[in-house]
This record gives sequence, structure tokens and C-alpha cells, in this order.
Amino acid sequence: MKLINFEFLKLRKKSRGWLGPILVFILIMTAFPLTVEILNSNLEQAFFSVLWIATLLVMMLATEDIFLEDYNDGTLEQTAIKYDSLALLVAIKIFVYWSLIGIPISLIGALYAFGITGSIESALQILPVLIITTYIFLNIFSFGNALSLTKGSILGTLITMPLVLPLLVVLGKVVIAINLGISFLGFLFLLLGILSIIILILPMVISFVIKAHLE
Amino acid sequence: MKKILAAENLSYSINEAKLFQGLSFELHEGNALHVLGSNGSGKTSLLRIISGLTKPTRGIIKKYNTKNICFVGHKNALKQYLTVEDNISLLEVDKHIDLNIFLEKLELNNLLDVMVANLSYGQQKKLALLRVFLNDSDLLVLDEPCVGLDKNSKNILCSFLRDQKEDKKALIFSSHLSLDIDSEFINLDKVTS
Amino acid sequence: MIKKFIHQFASPKTYLFQVDRAYSYIFYISLFIYLGSLFWGLFLTSEDFVQGNSYRIIYLHVPASFISQSLYLAMAFASAIFLIWKVKLSAYLVKSIAPIGAITTFIALISGSIWGIPTWGTWWAWDARIISTLILFIMYLGLISLHDSFTDYEKADKFLAILVIVGSVNIPIIKMSVEWWSTLHQTASITVTEKPAIDSSMLYPLFGSMIGFAGLVCCLVILSSKLQILTREKNKSWVKNYV
Repeated sequence: MKLINFEFLKLRKKSRGWLGPILVFILIMTAFPLTVEILNSNLEQAFFSVLWIATLLVMMLATEDIFLEDYNDGTLEQTAIKYDSLALLVAIKIFVYWSLIGIPISLIGALYAFGITGSIESALQILPVLIITTYIFLNIFSFGNALSLTKGSILGTLITMPLVLPLLVVLGKVVIAINLGISFLGFLFLLLGILSIIILILPMVISFVIKAHLE
Repeated sequence: MKKILAAENLSYSINEAKLFQGLSFELHEGNALHVLGSNGSGKTSLLRIISGLTKPTRGIIKKYNTKNICFVGHKNALKQYLTVEDNISLLEVDKHIDLNIFLEKLELNNLLDVMVANLSYGQQKKLALLRVFLNDSDLLVLDEPCVGLDKNSKNILCSFLRDQKEDKKALIFSSHLSLDIDSEFINLDKVTS
Repeated sequence: MIKKFIHQFASPKTYLFQVDRAYSYIFYISLFIYLGSLFWGLFLTSEDFVQGNSYRIIYLHVPASFISQSLYLAMAFASAIFLIWKVKLSAYLVKSIAPIGAITTFIALISGSIWGIPTWGTWWAWDARIISTLILFIMYLGLISLHDSFTDYEKADKFLAILVIVGSVNIPIIKMSVEWWSTLHQTASITVTEKPAIDSSMLYPLFGSMIGFAGLVCCLVILSSKLQILTREKNKSWVKNYV
């Protein structure tokens, strides 16, 4: 649809919007082995924690002006006048951000997983988890950004951080499952379930919040 | 004459401070409404209520026969980091037959691959007004459209708006300058009690 | 018809006057109940087999954590009413409950960690229930700061209501965290379906202290909501006559 093309065009040309977060992610993941002694056996265990934290941080960075920019230059108003419900636009925007930022980060993260642990299986197992988790983070942080549209993005991020913490607990369990070699399909389905609920509900909530801001 | 808009007993207040109250008016196709008032009297708020962005504190707005509304507010709705051409494609008017005519009239056709951030204030305003020139709506809501325009562009805009009026479109605008358009007036200073 | 019913009870003015009348009763009765149960629990019951005397902090910790979760549910309920029926009183209540909830959660965390020293040997452990209660505390702080950062009160009310409802996903996580994950924290001793796992001599003071604590927290909520109503409606004539 036209909307998808427009949003892709907007994000694609704004290179600091998608390249920035990816580069920050690479920076963090590269800095990690440098700060710890390489060949340390604990490297593998600490690696996954650093991976989740880096993903969290980078998703936070990526959504800093997902709606803020459109709000400030008036584009959001025009869309609000044209369409009754902004839910579709919000969902499309988040999807575009996920494809241009979330998926590359997942691939790079899986690559680093392969590099550190040396096993291609764990890398292939972590890939779908990363893909789903980046989408969930993106949704939640966009919600935070929408809430604090007029007050700067820091407030929004701080407020939605508590919603993200339970997810980190689940991710920790996933890592344990992978390390012990037991099937983690259950967790994957749990994450998929969370994602499907969030995808259906959050765009409508965010649309309501944005409309309230425009008033 | 078809009725486009009817407002009954509109009041608007922010945090208990009343901007205007008890405002009622009607707008038919082919008519224009000029909203007057001193700074801070609520002109922009009234135009935003009409275009559907804001909800009035009291009263209702009824719209008939409008499928689209063309709104130009204080913000230009342009992407600063895209070129003029990309912004035009975002406006969804790039297949419009009159596009090149208006680009020439507004002297924008040489600036197609310039980034909007590098344009002057007046040029950005002209680009923002392109959506007015190429609109396909029944109701045009314009908030101070002539700010920043040179005399030539202002005349082009005003004659275009007069033509739109002939074309049976409804027009609501607020402007400190006179736009030379035959219109009824609403003075928000007189409405506030 | 439901709308009319709700709007009858939704006037902040009626609420204020009714609550004024009931306040002294609630305060003194719940104070009596709480102190009475505390006395019973502290002095009249015997020591626990495993924990010795240190278990007695249960009379502070359990009411506090139960109330903090119930307060959040109350906020979520009031937010839903505000969003659906646009009752202003609900929004005032949500705003006034938030700080009280933060205090109660804080009490729960502190009393929990004090309890942890003799029983687990540590005053902090990163287990699921403690983490989710900490998350609840941070959520309360976030709610307070969200509302305070907006100058337009009506917008702030809406955002607060939405954030409360979205964040209520944390409450089931807290309640179920003890069952879903193997944790340091003990599982629930009192459930609706089974016979309580706790001795009845400790059970009754526990119930009493929960009721008393709930009553005292109600008093705090009443005070806070009165303040909120008087501040927000300060331009109305009845407020000028009242103050």
C-alpha cells in the first residue's frame, strides 16, 4: 500500500534514523569482549546478557523520534485529518522500523552469538528469539514515545521501562534453556503469543494517545 | 446550495480559561468565512476544531457532504531531510495534471532536488501550500496562509482561492491581511464574553 | 440507564461530603483493629517452629504487599471507568491513589528485606516475586511523574488512565510469579480453595491486621483524594464555601 511505501521512503532516506542504532549495536557488541579478558570461560555466559541489554538499549535509541518528528513538523496532523483511526499508520510505522532496524540487529546479534560461542546451532536458535524480541521492544518503546510526545522522549522511555523488565526475565530463561540444550520452543511460542497480543492492542492504544496529544 | 458545515454553541477552554463560547455559524458550498481576532483569541483552536483535530469543550460541529478536508496550519508538514521532489510524492499529488503549472507559477520547478532544509522560509511555505493548489477536497481550512509569501505568490494564492470558491468549494481561513475574497466574518473578540 | 446511575454517584461534591462524614469512623475503627491484631500477633501467639520470632513481621509485610497490588487493581478499575464513561471523579481517584500505592509497595519491599535477613541470610535476592514487586514500585513512580509532567490536566488524566491499564499486566505476573518460577519466596499460604497452610493462631491476627491496614490505607486515600478534588475544582463555588 501507499502508506508502507511512504514510510519506507521516509526512514530509508533518513540514514541517521536506521544506521545510527545499528552502528551503536555493533559498537556495544564489539566493545564487550574487549572489556573482558578473551578466552575467559565466563565470556559465553555474560555474552547473552550483554546481547539482551544491547538490544534493549538500541531499540530505545531507535524509537527516540518515531512519532516525535512527525508530530513536530505537522505530518502527523495531516494524517490524523485524513484517516479516522491512526492505528494502521502506527502499525505500519513500527513494522517499517522493525524491518530496517530490528531485523539487521537480529542478524548481527546472531552472528556475534556464533562468533562467541562457536556453535552455529545456538546462533540459529537465538535468531528467531531476537527477531521477535526486537519487535516487542519496538512496540513498547513506541508506546512510551507516544505518551511523552510533548515532553521529550526520556520521560516516555523511563515510564515504559517497567513494562519491559518482565520480558527480560523470560529472555533469561530462554538463554538457560539454550545453554542446557533443552528445547526452548515453549518460550518461543510464549514470546510469539505476547507479540501477537501486543501487535493487536498497542497500535490502537497509541493511536488514542496521539489523538489526545493533538487536541 | 448544499450545506457543508454547521456549528452549534461551540465553546473552547484550556484548563478552565475560556477562549470563546456560544459560537454558532453555518457554511455552505461556494462561501468563504474569514475568522478574525486578536492574538490568542482562539483562531487557530477554532480552525483545528473545524478540521477535526481538537474537540470543543462544549457544542457540536456537524459536517455534511465533505469527503476530504484540506488543512494548512502553522506547521508545514514537510520532511526537512527529503528533497522537494520526495516531499511532493509524499503529498500524493505527483500525478496531478496541474502539478507542473503550479510548480512553474510558484517558481519551484528548479528546486526539485534541493533538500527542504536548504530552502528559504517563503519557499518552504509555498511548498506547503502546494497541497492547497492540488487539493481534491470540498472544504479548505487555512490558518494564516499568507505569512511569509511575497506579493506575487500571495496574488497567485488569492486568485486561486477565488477560483475554488467559484468551483463550489467552501473556504474557512484566518488571516491578519485581507485576502480580497468575498467572505463573511467571524470576530472571536466579540464572541468571548 | 447505567450512565444515569453512575453519574449520580460521580459528583466530586457528594463524594467529598460523604467521605468527610465517614472518615473519623473509618480511621478509629481500623486503627483499633490493626493495633489489636498487632498486639495479638506480637505478644499472644507462640513462636514459629522454623523461623523463631522473626516471622512476626508478617503482620506488616503481607498486608502491605496485598494492599499495594489491590490498590493497583483499584486504579485500573477506576481508569477503565474514566475512559469509558468519562467520570471525572475516577480520574481524581486514580491520581490520588498513585502516591499511596507507591508508599505501600515501598513498605512491602523494606519489610520483606528486613524479614529476609534472619530467614534467608540476605536482605536482597533477585528472585521473581521481589523483582516484580520492585517493577510495581517503579511503575507507581512512573505514573506519578507522568501526571505531574503535564500542565493540561485533562490530557494528563487520559494518559495516566491508559498507562495504568497497560501496566496492569504486571499484577498477574506478581501473583503468579511464585508458582511459575522456582523462587526463594514462599508460596501462598492462604488460597481460596484449600485449607490454609498456616496455623489458625497466626491466621486470625493476620486477617485482622490485613483488614486494619486496609482501613488505614483507605484513610490515606480519602485524605489524598480530598486534596486532589479541592485542588482540581478550586474554581467552583462550593469549594470556596467549603474551605
